[in-house]
Amino acid sequence: MAAITLYDYELDEHCYRVRLLLTMLGLEWAPHAIDMVPGEEEKQPPMLALNPLGRLPVMRDGDLVLHGTEALLAYLARAYDGANTWLPKDAADFGRVMMWLNFSTLDLQPASQARVQALFGTTGVDAPLKEASRNAFRIMDDHMTKRGYEHGEWFVGEHVTLADLALFPSFALSRDFGIDHDEFPALRRWIRRFRNLENFTTMPGIPDYH
Amino acid sequence: MTAPTVWIPVALSSEIEAGASAGAVVDGKEVVVWRDTSGKAHAWEDRCPHRGMRMSFGFVRGDHIACLYHGWQYDTAGQCQYIPAHPDLDVPQTIKVMTYATKEANGVIWSTLSEEVPDEAIPGETDQVTALRSLYIDCPAAFVREALETASLPGFSASEEGTDFAALSDTVWTLTTGEDRLFIGVQRVNPSQTALHVMIAGPQATYAGAGQAHFSTWLETLRRSLEDGAPEKAASAPMTTAEVA
Repeated sequence: MAAITLYDYELDEHCYRVRLLLTMLGLEWAPHAIDMVPGEEEKQPPMLALNPLGRLPVMRDGDLVLHGTEALLAYLARAYDGANTWLPKDAADFGRVMMWLNFSTLDLQPASQARVQALFGTTGVDAPLKEASRNAFRIMDDHMTKRGYEHGEWFVGEHVTLADLALFPSFALSRDFGIDHDEFPALRRWIRRFRNLENFTTMPGIPDYH
Repeated sequence: MTAPTVWIPVALSSEIEAGASAGAVVDGKEVVVWRDTSGKAHAWEDRCPHRGMRMSFGFVRGDHIACLYHGWQYDTAGQCQYIPAHPDLDVPQTIKVMTYATKEANGVIWSTLSEEVPDEAIPGETDQVTALRSLYIDCPAAFVREALETASLPGFSASEEGTDFAALSDTVWTLTTGEDRLFIGVQRVNPSQTALHVMIAGPQATYAGAGQAHFSTWLETLRRSLEDGAPEKAASAPMTTAEVA
């Protein structure tokens, strides 16, 4: 049995973030499929025992049980990325990565909600959610435009970090909730780079080019 | 009424890497802009003849672009060459994507959205350009122009000497402060959205890095002020400007 178990829902973008890092770090892990839609299995007693908030992702590594995307990503990087590239040691770059991780949790939440509405709702996507998502993507695109002037290929520093990994899914999945990539040229180039990383893996909505 | 054929900017050259594709909208019409692996840029109608899927969602393989839905592959003439579900089929000549005249000049990809090539060249061509950025603004082109006509562009090379706006054509504007000149390709996305494809008309040795950041920050400020002002402007100045198409 693999050491790491991810309580996982295939269509959930937060679970995808963790799957991405597990895969890109080359770790041995196993998914434990949770019937989130329509079963709401994450809100049933067995899962509430692991995460009283009733949300995914939840991860078990030996005796350690963690929940919350940012915590899982930071833990995996600290525990298994010996080179410290995903979560830099340098204080300034660490701060920058944390800033974008925060952004992915707070400012990309509308994007996450919009996608859930588009996929599982019946009344379409609320306009304010779409507007907030577009605004967040603009901030990201402006940032990557300026990074381009200093030959930066990633959100922070010289290497791909958790910042890129945490931001990638929302933009890559934005067509699910009706935001096209036309207006974000710097982000288009950035996701192409990200997709070309070793051990990159897709999810439904992020096509594998056949 | 037939509009004269003009070169319309659809992307900066640097934004479309070899093997990449992107969507663009001109007057509500969807265009796919893509670059084959030999480096040639193409602009086509953004629609697969099979199921109407946007080709810009697809992917480039060599000198073919493939539709994301069923992998139908089109060569650089827009002709379908391969259908994965029928690998042995000699694909009929009628399965073809509408291709448009496309060229690159001043670091910008231009298309006419037809097969026709205009008589007039793109004005304002210069030898040395530095890529700046594309700016997408939720504002009609007429309002953007109005703002730029009175704009004060802070100089990068020297202290400010006042800013001159010039419209070299319907789709090419320039903004000049002292030595510094921005070359602006104007893409009218729809009646309420405009894209500016902006280059610095000057050498990279001068502008790469700090110069680019300087003008990019100014453009972000311009976008913010235009969008904040758009509703009241729209109310006070409805369709009186000749610009509004």
